[in-house]
Amino acid sequence: MSAITTTGLTKLYGHRLPSIRVPGRGAPTVVRALEDLEIEVAEGEIFGFLGPNGAGKSTTIRLLLGLIHPTAGSATVLGLDAVRDSVEIRRRIGYLPGGIALYDNLTGERLLDYVGDLTGRPSSRRAELCDRLELPPATLRRLVRDYSRGMRQKIGIVQALQHDPELAILDEPTEGLDPLMQRAFYLILEELRAAGRTIFFSSHILSEVERVCDRVAIVRRGRLVVVENIEALLARRKRNVEMRVDGPLPRLEGVAGVSNVAANADGRITCQLEGDVGPFLAAIRDTRVVDLTIEPAHLEEAFLELYQDTDEVAS
Amino acid sequence: MNLVLLRHTWRSQRFKLAIVCLGLAIWSALLPVVYGTFGQTFKSIMDSGLIPQQLMQFGGGDIFSLSGSMALGAIHPISLILNSIFAIGFATSAIAGERQRGTLEVLLARPLSRRTVYGTLLVAVLGFVAIAIAASIVGAVVGAAIAGVAGELVPGRLPLFWLNGVLLFGAIAAVGLAASVSFDRLTPALGLTVGVTVVSYFLEVLGTFWPDAKGLQAYSIFHYFNAKQVLEGQVDAGNFAVLAAVAVVAVGWAVVIFPRRDLAAPS
Repeated sequence: MSAITTTGLTKLYGHRLPSIRVPGRGAPTVVRALEDLEIEVAEGEIFGFLGPNGAGKSTTIRLLLGLIHPTAGSATVLGLDAVRDSVEIRRRIGYLPGGIALYDNLTGERLLDYVGDLTGRPSSRRAELCDRLELPPATLRRLVRDYSRGMRQKIGIVQALQHDPELAILDEPTEGLDPLMQRAFYLILEELRAAGRTIFFSSHILSEVERVCDRVAIVRRGRLVVVENIEALLARRKRNVEMRVDGPLPRLEGVAGVSNVAANADGRITCQLEGDVGPFLAAIRDTRVVDLTIEPAHLEEAFLELYQDTDEVAS
Repeated sequence: MNLVLLRHTWRSQRFKLAIVCLGLAIWSALLPVVYGTFGQTFKSIMDSGLIPQQLMQFGGGDIFSLSGSMALGAIHPISLILNSIFAIGFATSAIAGERQRGTLEVLLARPLSRRTVYGTLLVAVLGFVAIAIAASIVGAVVGAAIAGVAGELVPGRLPLFWLNGVLLFGAIAAVGLAASVSFDRLTPALGLTVGVTVVSYFLEVLGTFWPDAKGLQAYSIFHYFNAKQVLEGQVDAGNFAVLAAVAVVAVGWAVVIFPRRDLAAPS
C-alpha cells in the first residue's frame, strides 16, 4: 500500500470570487497554488519534496492534512481520504509545520506533554529523541519563549516524532539547526526508515534531499516537474570535467555525451559529460593528460537544469 | 469536546480569571454599600425634582433599592469591561489569535476535528463567563451584608439573575468566537465584536436617557438583560429566549463556517 497518493490534486485560490471590477483595482486574480499533482509515496521510503519558496510544497502538505480543501482531485494518506478522514490521518501521522510556532508560555516539557496528550498516543520515543537532539531535562524545564531558533526547531521535531508515527510529514525540518544537529537528525530519519516508517520531507535545500531521500519530487509554480530516484536523477546529469594536457589537444567535439567544450592556450580543457564515460575516455586515449578532474553531479545542478528545461518548454 | 484542550485552556487562563473575578466581586460589593449608606439621601434628592428622572437611572439600574444597585453594578461600563475580558478578549483570540501566532497549526495537526476544537473553546469561554458572573453576585451579596441590607435580597431569585447575566455575556462570547473562526487575524475579529457590543450598549443607554430613542433599545442585546426586574421577581422568559437565540445563531454560523474554511499557511 502507498503511504501517500495524490490524483490530479489541484488547489486554486480566489476562483470563487465574483469577477467584479473594483475601481482602482484590477480584476480578482486566481492563484494557482497547485495544479494536477500526481505523486505516490511508498511505505518505508524517505520521499523528498523539493521546490523553491512558493512552489506549492506547503499547500500540498496542508491538503494532505485536511487544513485546506482541494479544488479538484483527491489525496489518500495511509489509505484514508485526506478530506473525509483527516482526523484519523492526523492520529497516525506526525507533522512538523514549516517555521513552527510554539506556545511561548509553556516549558518545553509541558508543551511536549500537552501535544502528546492531544495526540492520544504514548510518547514512546521522546526521551531518545531529546537525548539525540541534545535537549536535556534542564533545557526542557525552561519556558519556550527563552528558546533559540534552533531549540524551537528541535522541540518541533520531537513533537512530530515522539509518538512514533507511521508517517512523518516534515516541512523544512532542518531550518535553524546547526550542522551537528542536522547530522543527528539525518541519522534519526535513516533509523526511522530502517524501522519501516515513511517520511515525507519538504525542503528547498538540495544537499539534504540528496543526502537523505530515496526519491524526490520536484515542484515549481504549483506543478510537478519530475519524480525520480535520487540516484537516477544524478546519473543522467552532466558532470563537470576539467583537464590539463601536455601536447596536442584531443578532439572532443562530436564525442557522445560531451558538450560545452572549451580549450585554453595553456592546455586546459573544460567540458561537460553526460551518461557513459567510455566514449570520452576513448577520445583522450592518445592524449598526454597531466591533470584530470571529473566532479560528481550535484542535485543542485540537476535541479537547475530541470528548471531550465521547464522554462524552455513554457516559453 | 476535548478534555485535554479544555484543561489546557482553563489552566492557561486561571490567573486572569482569578483577577477578573476579584475585580467584579469588589465592584459588585461596592454598589449595595453605596445604596445602604447613601440610598435614602439620593432618593430625597430625586424626589425633590432637582435632577431629571432619566439621569437617576442607568441601563435599568439605580441606587434607590438593593435590586437597582445590583442591576446598576451589572450593567455599568466597569462591569462590562471586566466581563468582556473573557466574553470578547478570550473569545476573539481563541482561534484567530492562535492562527495569527501560528500555534493553531500545532493544535490542528492533532486528531481533533475543527468542530471539536470550537466546541471545547465554547465550553471554556462559557465556563469563564459563568464563573465571572457568579463572582459578581457573590460580591453583591457580601456588599449587601456589609451594608446591612441583605435582608432585602430574595436568594431564590439569584440563580435567574445569574442565568440572565450568563446568557448576555455568553451571547457576546458566542458572537466573538464566531468572528474568531471567520478571520485569519485577531484585529478584524476583535474589531467586529467590540463594534457590535459598543453599538448595542450605546443604543440601550441612549434609550434610557432620551425617551425618543427608546424604540432603538429593542435592537440592543443589553435590552434583554433585566437584572432589576429579575431580582424583583418579574421574569420575562422572552428576554432569556432572545439572548439564547443570539447565541444559537452565532454558534450555528461557527459550526458551519469553521470546518469549511481553508486554513492556509500563516503569513
